[in-house]
Amino acid sequence: MIKVENLRKEFELSRQQRKELGTDDRIAVAVDNVSFVCEKGKVFSLLGPNGAGKTTTLRMLSTIFTPTSGTIEIAGIDAVKYPQEARKKLGFLTGSTGLYARLTPVEVVDYFADLYQVPKNKREERKKYLFNLLQMNDFLGKRIGKLSTGMKQKVSICRTMIHDPEVVVFDEPTSGLDVITAANIIQLIKDCRDQNKTVIFSSHIMSEVDLLCDDLSIIHKGKLKYSGTMDDFRSNMEEPNLTAEFIRIVNL
Amino acid sequence: MIFTIFKKELIDTLRDRRTLMMMLVIPVLVFPIIMNLFVTISASFQKEAASKTLNIGVLGTKDNPIVKDLIAAPEALGKKKVVFYTDTALLRKDIEKDSVQLGLFVHDDAAKLLETFKPIAINWLFDGTDLGMQERAELYMGYLEDKYQNARYQALNINPVEVKPFFTVYSNVASDQKMIGQLAGGFLPYIFIAFGFIGCMYPAIDLFTGEKERGTIETLLTTPVARWQILFGKMMVVVLSGLTAATCALLGLYFSIEFMNVVENAEIMAIVKGILSVKFILTLFLLLFPLTIFFVGVMIPIAVYAKTFKEAQSIITPLNIVVVLPAMVGFFPGIELNAITACIPVVNVVLSSKELIAGTLEWGYLALSFGVMLSLAMLSVFVSYKQYGKESNVVAS
Repeated sequence: MIKVENLRKEFELSRQQRKELGTDDRIAVAVDNVSFVCEKGKVFSLLGPNGAGKTTTLRMLSTIFTPTSGTIEIAGIDAVKYPQEARKKLGFLTGSTGLYARLTPVEVVDYFADLYQVPKNKREERKKYLFNLLQMNDFLGKRIGKLSTGMKQKVSICRTMIHDPEVVVFDEPTSGLDVITAANIIQLIKDCRDQNKTVIFSSHIMSEVDLLCDDLSIIHKGKLKYSGTMDDFRSNMEEPNLTAEFIRIVNL
Repeated sequence: MIFTIFKKELIDTLRDRRTLMMMLVIPVLVFPIIMNLFVTISASFQKEAASKTLNIGVLGTKDNPIVKDLIAAPEALGKKKVVFYTDTALLRKDIEKDSVQLGLFVHDDAAKLLETFKPIAINWLFDGTDLGMQERAELYMGYLEDKYQNARYQALNINPVEVKPFFTVYSNVASDQKMIGQLAGGFLPYIFIAFGFIGCMYPAIDLFTGEKERGTIETLLTTPVARWQILFGKMMVVVLSGLTAATCALLGLYFSIEFMNVVENAEIMAIVKGILSVKFILTLFLLLFPLTIFFVGVMIPIAVYAKTFKEAQSIITPLNIVVVLPAMVGFFPGIELNAITACIPVVNVVLSSKELIAGTLEWGYLALSFGVMLSLAMLSVFVSYKQYGKESNVVAS
């Protein structure tokens, strides 16, 4: 489970940034007083237009950023106080995830298995399972720089799941991917739910949300605009489709 | 965890062609190539000079005794052909055209002046850009002066010893090792510093800015590894690659000396080999290790701050000059290791190494230099740690 309460993130603006944004404020608030809960075995979607604060929120959940205030609990661990402990329970995948082009898929997966301290016997089991599941056996020895986008995404998934995390964070995971690779990711998210994991993913593609989501929150300009179940969202819609309803809420 | 990061980064670095070029290939090959060129070119110049017949244009008559003696000068002084001129302007022109290399003007009354024991004015003309010509003229003059001086002593019945007031002996009490250390000792640390810096540069940019640019840092930061562990793992690879580049450069230099006959004098060669003892190499590394850490500590905050590889490169490259300039202090004679110079980073390492080679190192100053470099290395690591801890620096946007 993920539990977020009164989350706030401020960034100090450099002189250059103040000039670009046309502001005298030295502080920019990226996320302001955001609270939500992601249940185990459910897919929680964080929606918002570009620059809404989704990535900043997910970076705080993944402990890349430290919140200015507020609390984050990941699988029962206070992620603000004990980020390293929380990370052990966490898998993180973004659409823009880079990989080490000079390493092979096996080397990358082994590297992350080492970092997550996955025991040797469990590691081999997980590797075998994931390589078969994702049909990676044909390109395991090739350098990542020579792989196609789809193959690279499979390596990313494998790297994210090697330690069998309880909580998986997907930040716009299908952004910039072709249809087949995006479908693989969607399937992975469904599999995670079936395996009783906590899944949170950010997107602005309503069709993905419709397909996967159990609960959702809509965030805009750092503030929470909506939070509830997908069923409630659908039944209380004032607009004829999800996209139009999303735009309506954002503009409220 | 540090070792896991180190191992991965090392594999990654060793697969990067650009880093390999800067870390291994160029340092190993640069000196053999330079030395080979030097030996080949200087040998060909010597050969050419020995076989080349020098054209000497003479403004004077054939029966002039000095001209006669010049023509009769032994071939050991170099092959020559004497051409007579009557026009000074034409002679100058031919020297400029290089059809004649030396011009000699001797007064026609030279014979009379010789008889009356008067000094004879002799003018040599040469093109200063034609290297070695003045030396050739001086060689002929040395021969002629000895000949005529002895003739005058004899004619005047003078014992040359009686007119010479002093027998001066200048004795160099410095050992050959000390001389080599003072004259060429600055070169060794200079190489180490220059190549050490270059060797650190690409891995530092690749492992820090590159990781940010490629978007791999975010996933690394979500693993249960502390940032300082990531920093140290990466830093170790950068330090290792700097030390490797410097060591490769020294190895290249050693092989050049050993196998390319750059040092022809056997005694000097024996001294050079004697200098390169295990103790010397260990002490050199002792000094250069904190220096390399210091370099890395300076580069990392820049690499962490920079948004792109290009930006990092454009900031770090000029730093190379800042580092190399104090390293060149080693080439200046008269600058010694003392309490002040031992506190100046880079300069202290160069001077310590120089004195180490010369065998004149005072261990107190070495300890001071080491202490200063170690403190700076620790400070730079601390700055790197602070910079690497900043969210805005580590994540691309």
